[in-house]
Amino acid sequence: MIEKFSELAKDLDPAVFWEYRAVLIPGLLYNFYVFFLTVGVAVGLGLFVAILRLSHHGVLRAVGGLYAEVCRNTPEYIALIWIYYVPPLLIGLAIGRNISFSPLLAAVIALGLSSSGYFTETFRAGILAVPKGHVEAARALGMSRLATMQRIVLPQAIRHMLPEAMNQFVSLFKGTTLVSLIAIPDLMYEVSLVTMDTDRALPLYTGAALIYFVLILAMTTLVRKVTDRMRKSPRMTG
Amino acid sequence: MDLFWQSALWRHREAFWDGLVVTMQVTVIGYIGAILLGFALCMMSMYVRPLRWPSRFFIEFFRATPIYVQLLWVNYVWPKVIGWPNGFFEAGCTALAVQSAGYLAETFRAGIEGISRGQIEAAQAQGMSGPLIMRRIVLPQVVHTMAPSFMNQLLVVIKSSTLVSVIAVPDLMYQALRLTSIWFEPIEILSCTALIYLVIVSALSWAFKVYTDRIRAKYGLTRG
Amino acid sequence: MSAPASRSDNVVVRIVDLHKYFGELEVLKGVSLDVHQGEVLTMLGSSGSGKTTLLRCINLLEQPTSGEIHVGGSPMGFHIDARGRRRPARGAQLNAQRAEIGMVFQQFNLWPHMTALQNIIEAPMRVRGWSRAKAEDIALRLLQKINLMDKRDQYPARLSGGQQQRVAIARALAMQPKVMLFDEPTSSLDPELVGEVLAVMRALADDGTTMIVITHEIGFARDVSDRVVFLHNGLIEEEGAPDDVIVNPKSERCRRFFAGITR
Repeated sequence: MIEKFSELAKDLDPAVFWEYRAVLIPGLLYNFYVFFLTVGVAVGLGLFVAILRLSHHGVLRAVGGLYAEVCRNTPEYIALIWIYYVPPLLIGLAIGRNISFSPLLAAVIALGLSSSGYFTETFRAGILAVPKGHVEAARALGMSRLATMQRIVLPQAIRHMLPEAMNQFVSLFKGTTLVSLIAIPDLMYEVSLVTMDTDRALPLYTGAALIYFVLILAMTTLVRKVTDRMRKSPRMTG
Repeated sequence: MDLFWQSALWRHREAFWDGLVVTMQVTVIGYIGAILLGFALCMMSMYVRPLRWPSRFFIEFFRATPIYVQLLWVNYVWPKVIGWPNGFFEAGCTALAVQSAGYLAETFRAGIEGISRGQIEAAQAQGMSGPLIMRRIVLPQVVHTMAPSFMNQLLVVIKSSTLVSVIAVPDLMYQALRLTSIWFEPIEILSCTALIYLVIVSALSWAFKVYTDRIRAKYGLTRG
Repeated sequence: MSAPASRSDNVVVRIVDLHKYFGELEVLKGVSLDVHQGEVLTMLGSSGSGKTTLLRCINLLEQPTSGEIHVGGSPMGFHIDARGRRRPARGAQLNAQRAEIGMVFQQFNLWPHMTALQNIIEAPMRVRGWSRAKAEDIALRLLQKINLMDKRDQYPARLSGGQQQRVAIARALAMQPKVMLFDEPTSSLDPELVGEVLAVMRALADDGTTMIVITHEIGFARDVSDRVVFLHNGLIEEEGAPDDVIVNPKSERCRRFFAGITR
């Protein structure tokens, strides 16, 4: 038993990470790269659909609702694969040429769409949380629709939606690990390559898990601190 | 176009069915494992002094690590360290259980702490014993407040189950990828697969919403 | 107009030199009290006087630091072993002792996932082991008495505060306890609902129930109690018949307390 553990301890040597840092660090940076691109897509789409869902027209609301349901209920992996293969083929059929999506493009679209389903709900809830009375007071005072939205609704709405949105950013970051499945050279992809090279699966996969653990824990702690500070701030109450 | 897709689904129906069966197995086993593990972790972190820090660590660890990372970690590292799981299917189930266990542990904790102290005192004042109070007062209410989280985690497990195909577990996703590489009908096969998952998750999601609304109406208030 | 004094010499609750510390703070500084069968005792005092702590010590929701409490002749929290020595009560004994004491809380504390009827029959069935038929029979009779028969299948969320508290009283009574403890039963109620709860309590007093009540309702204290106790700073400052304590208090603090209460 003891020998087994000391063997494991030796095997768990993090030095292998240092050795291969030339590929591993860029891998992790790639995760961040994908993350930021995806955030842009997800937030943009999420906002757009949220506005749809708040519109006066029932059809627009229904379309937005359907969009959100589809995006949330589809597993990300199948979305990733589907986006990578199907739209290029369809477009190719339509225009008579063979086109393909780069893995990065497919990943950003797929993960962006998927996350936008969650963001749209957060945005919608945030806007709805602003008491109607505030809006009525502003309009009664003669403020235009746009000014009301800008000065009264959005500032409050953002305060309401920020905690949940931040949580979703963290989830999105966790989701970027899937991109290795379509050969995007992120951290997990590089780790998998290195394990084939060195057969040191133990420290590599454990190390990767720990890296993500530390990163995500730091993010969620940050989110929690910000949320607590916001909740205590007198500007939030009432 | 419809007939096109229908025929793809029909022609490969055996593969789809086999894959679906495995998906369901992995999902159910993983989900039940998550509940048991989550409950155990919760009880340890709340009531067992010496295990408090280790269990809290594991809860945070399981919640923070992405499922894909957990999958590879469980599949390649655990067998070497603790000699188990044996085989890809077990590894897949375990990874899914591990992913949700952290969240469910927090759900259990929030539920139990959410019961107002006064109700427990009222039960104590009537001479009810600790286990009786847990069984008749705490748990029934806790079930209602925890239900949404439980239902959500089931959906998470179903969606995450697609990843077990990566470690060669022959689930629906695996079958879809295999068929695509053999038959070169990616549009039909992948779309059918996506649709199947979408329908299953949406149907369950709708059923859960109906259930939640029904409970809310019955007890008169949003619980918890 | 006092209720007919139906006191016997039978002491139901005996408290002897009770002390209670919360950390460094001594909240009860040696309280002794006897409550007789059929007596209605009201405890008054400003907040922080220790009256709630005293009440909660009786059924051991708070653990006294020192002193003794006897309910129905047997010491709370202890049992006498074969050789006549004191041993701390184990869980089952404590529960059995608590079953003999009924408590009504300021916050009602009805269990929200059970209907009114279910709330009432739960402990009689599970703790006393009575059959469902017997428990329901008792429960329905109590519901009849408190005028809530039509609400028996309602969940607490659908009941008003006054209704919930009446159900809570019935729940405590269903155990047929030796004494009923009331911890500010009307303090959480809207003013117009207070009357219905006090009416139930009056009826209980008329029936000869032994009651210890903490309340700010001076009218109730005057009209219904047999004895009033005024607590201050963890000690009994004054004790006696309602008219003596409330109308002609001897101690200065007591006088000031009542002067401060608007009628």
